[in-house]
Amino acid sequence: MRRFRLEKKTKRSALAVLLNSILFVLVALAFCGVIIAAVGFNPLEVYGRMFSRAFLSVRGIRSAVESGLPLMLCGLGVSIAFRMNLNNIGAEGQYAVGAILGGAFAFYGPKLPGILGILVLAVCCFLGGAIWALLCAIPKAFWDVDECITTLMLNYVALILLSYLCLGPWKAAGQNVGQTEKIPDSLALGEIPGLEVSVAFPLVILIAVLMFCFYKYTTSGYQISVMGKSLTAARYAGINLKKNILLVLGLSGGLAGLAGFIQFAGITGRVQENMPNNAGYTAIVIAYLSRQNPLVVIVVSFLLAGLQNSSATVQVMGVPAQIATMMQGAIMIIVIAGDFFLRYRIVSVKKGGKKA
Amino acid sequence: MKRKTLGLVLTASTLMSLTMGGFSAQASESKDVSDLVIGEIQYSVVEDGGWAQAMHEGLVAACENLGIDTSTNLLTMEEISEEDPALIQAAVEELAYSGADIIIGGSAGYASILSELADEYPDIVFAQQGNDVYDNIVEFQIRGYEGMFQAGYLCALLNEGSNELGFEASMDEASVRTAINAYALGAKYANPDATVQVLWADSWYDLDIESNNAQSLIDSGIKYMGMEASSPAVPQTCEENGAFCIGYNVNMQDYAPGAVLTSFVWNWTPIFEDIFQQTAAGTMDHSANYYEGGECSALADFNSDLVPAEIQEQVLAVRDQIANGEISVYGGELKDDEGNVLVAEGETMSDEEILAQDFFVENVKGGK
Repeated sequence: MRRFRLEKKTKRSALAVLLNSILFVLVALAFCGVIIAAVGFNPLEVYGRMFSRAFLSVRGIRSAVESGLPLMLCGLGVSIAFRMNLNNIGAEGQYAVGAILGGAFAFYGPKLPGILGILVLAVCCFLGGAIWALLCAIPKAFWDVDECITTLMLNYVALILLSYLCLGPWKAAGQNVGQTEKIPDSLALGEIPGLEVSVAFPLVILIAVLMFCFYKYTTSGYQISVMGKSLTAARYAGINLKKNILLVLGLSGGLAGLAGFIQFAGITGRVQENMPNNAGYTAIVIAYLSRQNPLVVIVVSFLLAGLQNSSATVQVMGVPAQIATMMQGAIMIIVIAGDFFLRYRIVSVKKGGKKA
Repeated sequence: MKRKTLGLVLTASTLMSLTMGGFSAQASESKDVSDLVIGEIQYSVVEDGGWAQAMHEGLVAACENLGIDTSTNLLTMEEISEEDPALIQAAVEELAYSGADIIIGGSAGYASILSELADEYPDIVFAQQGNDVYDNIVEFQIRGYEGMFQAGYLCALLNEGSNELGFEASMDEASVRTAINAYALGAKYANPDATVQVLWADSWYDLDIESNNAQSLIDSGIKYMGMEASSPAVPQTCEENGAFCIGYNVNMQDYAPGAVLTSFVWNWTPIFEDIFQQTAAGTMDHSANYYEGGECSALADFNSDLVPAEIQEQVLAVRDQIANGEISVYGGELKDDEGNVLVAEGETMSDEEILAQDFFVENVKGGK
């Protein structure tokens, strides 16, 4: 009689991680294919149209970049916290407060010339997110209050505040919509000439590359990983935990706040009632799927955004809107579940304990 | 375009299409109305039991009345978030690619983005629910206060032996305040001492809070209430407690046949029919604005088990009086809940002020 046992894998190559992800995306597509077929459509035709419109057309790529920008920044923010094993569930609220502080500057602040105004706007949004995260980082650092709960709860506070402002004092005149007037043109981020993609995109990539180098080539970056793996080891190594918790969570929130900057200076031109639109929560999944690698965060955000946009494409074919949402969910769950096979191998064991 | 001109425009467009039929050489500009392809963009699924469903039903009815095949020529985009411009743009592009002649934005939140996109697609008529803000898209809105006035009037008539009515409201926002105020004014028209107690859900859709609010109103002794909420929570809570309410958005009688007296239904059909006919005739003004009352702002059929025939007639009489101008819902003298005079005797509030209501009328309690 054979029995099976789980054995922890000690090593995993980058290639194995990539192949594992691709394999389980395919599994997810097969799973959704069954459901698409059950609703009465040909899955290959649906997938073909989705992918060709979302990822193989200039228009689709542009939209995916545009929708992906806030996901990228929130994803980068959440991933840096995850790297240190800090569960920042609050990117949604940090994004909102970033947008609020940015909005306050755009509508009430001094009119600064040219690029200076945009820079100050970015700093305001970053600070908004960072301050919101620090509200949780301080109790965490000094009294070990679970950041998972505090960051989550503060989301609601931030979203209600945003909604109050957009429906109340900041509301654009003459509309029944929770949004502000357009920001002054001088504060709007332009597009890259010829490409029609927001200039925010290269900036976000630059941030990701800087983060990648920070992790790989600096002592502080390395310390974050050490703290993520073992706090005891970090303490023995003389790493200042309190300072790092404040720094990392602050940075994490600041990046999410920048998502507010990119969205309203680069894309919508207004602050809106439900502006974060779940980007902060999707970011948690993105950080997990990309295994906290900042460059992979960019790719995963782009792919998820494209998938989201393809819901318009499938609906024209008559496929229900929920199919695209379901695919997103299925891909996330199945790829995360597939992670199991990266960490463990199943070993067949003969009775008596010897390996087969 | 004001209400009174709608009929004129309808007649004019019919005449025009007749004359244009006579000169078939001009037919390149126009097309047969049944050949129109209509794109619809909604923020939720269309079977949401509320706002989106009311609008979708209006579109389907308009299509059917004009011989447009909804299975092939009505393209519906659901769950298109108002906060995601790229997704809205993707939806518009897909609809344009599929040959849409008209794109209808179901929620006011699309207006700014559709207005930016409209110039890229000069051949497509963009029509958007909302107030008159943009010049390059058609905007349409219903005078919801007319139906809500009748709803308040009905509740106050039935509410014998008590002056207190209730109202379950969603978010504190101009269109919601319009509903509350009109309900209160209608109640006052039936009973000068009637007051309306408002409880807020502070959410557009929340079964638990809506249900709790209805329960609190009932516990405080209120038996009849209006609502500006999208879920069946209020009707069902009323039914469990022997209280009564006016359904909202769609006909809610099936949710709680023992509690729903009638429903306030957003009837978009006449507006859509006009837009379709004018688009087909090539006469649609891309900057038109509709703000319609009358049959657009109607109550559904009365629940005859709960509303006696003579009261039904009284409500219908009020409806007709609003239509012929005998009753001016926002006519003076009108005071707010702090006693300030909003409209002097003999005057009427302007449409701009009606659309931007930032006050509560005198007999509203619990406004914000």
